[in-house]
Amino acid sequence: MPKLNLTRREFLKVSGASLFLAGLPLPGFTSDKPPGTISVIMLEGGMDGLTAVPPFGDPNLLRMRRNLTSDNYLKLNSFFGLHPSFKYFAGLMAKNNASVVHATNFPYVLRSHFEGQNLMQGGGLSPFSETTGWLGRALDLAKVPGRSLSLDMPLVLRGMSDNDNFYPASIKSSSDLMTQLIDTISMAHSKEGSEIFAKVSKKSTQKDSIVPRNPASLAKFAGKAMSQDGGPLSSVIKVDQFDTHANQGSDENGNHGTQLTLIDDIIAGYKEGLGDAWDRSIILTLTEFGRTVLENGTGGTEHGYGSAGLLAGGAITKSRVISQWPGLAKNEQFEKRDLMSTIDYRSVCAACIEKSLGLDHDLIASKVFYTPKLPRVYDQIFS
Amino acid sequence: MNEQFRVAHKLGLMFHHDTPLPEDVKAWAISQLHAKSPALGIKKVKHYPKAKVQEWPKSLQPDLKKRDDMFAVYKQNVRKQRMELEGHTSEAAKRANNRENLMGEKDEMKFAHRNIYGKDQVRLRFTSFWANHFTTGNIWDNQNHIGHAIDEAILANLNGSFSHMLYKMTTHPSMLVYLDNVWSSGPNSKNVIWAKEKGKQAGLNDNLGRELLELHTVSPSAKYSETDIRNAAKVLAGWGIWPGNLSDGLMTLNERNNKLIEMGETTNSWDFFKKWHAEPGNKTVLGKVIPAGKGGLRNLTDFLASHENTIMFISFKLAEHFVSDNPSKSDIDYIANAWRLSNGGLDQIHSAVIERAISSKAPKFQWPMTWLFQVVRLSDASFFKGWDQIEKYDEGLMEVRKIFEELGQSFWHTRQPNGYSSAKSEWLSGEMFERRIRFSDAIYTAGYPSFSPQEIMDRIGANEATRELVNSLLGRKKQFIALMCSPELMGLENA
Repeated sequence: MPKLNLTRREFLKVSGASLFLAGLPLPGFTSDKPPGTISVIMLEGGMDGLTAVPPFGDPNLLRMRRNLTSDNYLKLNSFFGLHPSFKYFAGLMAKNNASVVHATNFPYVLRSHFEGQNLMQGGGLSPFSETTGWLGRALDLAKVPGRSLSLDMPLVLRGMSDNDNFYPASIKSSSDLMTQLIDTISMAHSKEGSEIFAKVSKKSTQKDSIVPRNPASLAKFAGKAMSQDGGPLSSVIKVDQFDTHANQGSDENGNHGTQLTLIDDIIAGYKEGLGDAWDRSIILTLTEFGRTVLENGTGGTEHGYGSAGLLAGGAITKSRVISQWPGLAKNEQFEKRDLMSTIDYRSVCAACIEKSLGLDHDLIASKVFYTPKLPRVYDQIFS
Repeated sequence: MNEQFRVAHKLGLMFHHDTPLPEDVKAWAISQLHAKSPALGIKKVKHYPKAKVQEWPKSLQPDLKKRDDMFAVYKQNVRKQRMELEGHTSEAAKRANNRENLMGEKDEMKFAHRNIYGKDQVRLRFTSFWANHFTTGNIWDNQNHIGHAIDEAILANLNGSFSHMLYKMTTHPSMLVYLDNVWSSGPNSKNVIWAKEKGKQAGLNDNLGRELLELHTVSPSAKYSETDIRNAAKVLAGWGIWPGNLSDGLMTLNERNNKLIEMGETTNSWDFFKKWHAEPGNKTVLGKVIPAGKGGLRNLTDFLASHENTIMFISFKLAEHFVSDNPSKSDIDYIANAWRLSNGGLDQIHSAVIERAISSKAPKFQWPMTWLFQVVRLSDASFFKGWDQIEKYDEGLMEVRKIFEELGQSFWHTRQPNGYSSAKSEWLSGEMFERRIRFSDAIYTAGYPSFSPQEIMDRIGANEATRELVNSLLGRKKQFIALMCSPELMGLENA
């Protein structure tokens, strides 16, 4: 996989204006055919936004997070840096194909993984209020199929009956699937079981090459599939183990840094797989919450609130760090412990849907996120 | 299915071919709560006739102290290997270190064997429910603990009270390691004061305190605050030993034991409390004042165990797991009532679950692992290797670890502390269903079932729709796959 070797000097060229977000939604555009693809990297456990994208320009960062901040971060602008695990992503930023949104989260403040993960996928007004996911609803509105690259169907994609997940099986002594057998089984089942077996049957006629299991290779596979005519327009990759309550580490070799490297590899995998389709693609990360500003007593961090989101893809034509920086001082923190969230991440998701699926922002706000007044941030990301 | 198999499908793992079917199935299910069975299994797979089922060898079931010692030795050997010391760097030495000192693979095989050959099927289903409720995964260095927790903290306490099981799981090293409590020290503990003097890091970790409230007991419905979570973490501070070596040096087991006694006055990792790491003073959790000291935790877990929100939260989970995919309010209330009346007596709670599961005619969708055990038991196939074959390659048989990996469910995986959902919606996907077809195929092809699909259907009293499905296909293998993936055996509605 190509990795760009960038020096710190080159990073200084990256444009990184911190923007203020306000204003009412502007009218969006719609078109008959979805213009692009949308992929979500779900980071379970709570990615530490302050480790991933350290705001080294904030004097409180090193004072409060000495042991959690890598000293060889990659400089983005005079205020923000990137964790050294993000070498590929940094290269994309240098080429104006990636951006960061910082101090952001879904509007969820109670710090439970399971409520938070449900909300970030369901996209409803409260945890466990939805049985479908925001991406599934968006795809349904755009009438396009999605695909998930893990064994269980994540909530985020539910809501569209044509969604299917893909995680290659490797079971010794089992032979190729027999379409007629599966069709017969499918007919014996009532609606819910029947539909699922019908999908299996349909898949049995497809020739999927053997795919390795690591996330980067899955991303490459997904990218390739999405690059085909009539291929899926969306994919989701889930990575866990971000819940570093102990021994979080600071650099690439630390426990959090290792997970960040996975994100970097996944994005590189997508880029390689998408090929020319990269130009119409957007990839975004999603995590349930950030982590506490202060290190806890065991070299780790506890569940927090605001985090960072990473965006990559050819749909981005100008790299930025989009942030309304709240500050890290105690009185600037959320409940005197967490990074405040000043940008509603649902707006970021909505902008990515608008760009990739060509849906109108107002429609997304009301039908996908049930929040008609959700601010539109499309211009800050894509103009 | 006939009533016996309908009940065994919901509450058990299916009757073996040589087990007589009970006439009073409810009485049988309730009596199963006290069925005592050692871990049964096979030494080596044989097909004609099938291998003899026997007790798991004692040598493969070490006690907790031995498991901790083995892990300490394992870590030492890994360190010696990194230092490139002679005798520790060869592939053979690495394999020997894994074989002699790590328990994950053996425990997972024992768990599978137990569920396939065990005579205590209902007990085993409740064991899996609680093992999932108190999820501990193979994160950090936990693999020598997980199987021990399932056997000794869950299965061995299945006839006691919920409060006792809660305490035994909360203090088990499997939990203390998995949710990081082994690292935690109270903000005003001696350990933190000393660390500050030396400019070192030490302090509180709230991971276990949070999940104790959110997942193991009261749930977010109790509306606890961050302060409640922190105070629960302060009660927990001091509990647990970091596994493996205690320092950077190469400690002998003797030195390690002495160090443990110095820190916690015992070498028993299931009762290990470091008073220097403990937080002094009373703590208040959800209004309850918990005194300082080692005894404080039992006060807290007893309080949480009998909390009304705990009762309602877990009664729902039990009903969703055993009674139906959409349990009614009366199902949940019935279980909750048995809980209140018995003061959390697991026998009474489980009996109430059994009663409701039998009286509800609704199908219950089964977890992948439950379904797999049921298919293997019904057909008398030999799908899991024997304990003598752990390290031996077999071209037909999969590694136990690999089976669970492909199934997408295992108590030995690294996974999130909320465990596996019992909700049907979480498992309805093409990928999961494709695996059921492939596993049915593999069990038929590699496992040499003793019984034909027709014989199995006759014994279980398969319904008309299942018979029609199976009989519409030609060839035993296809019939076998269709039977095992029928709505009836998956616990779904017929068309």
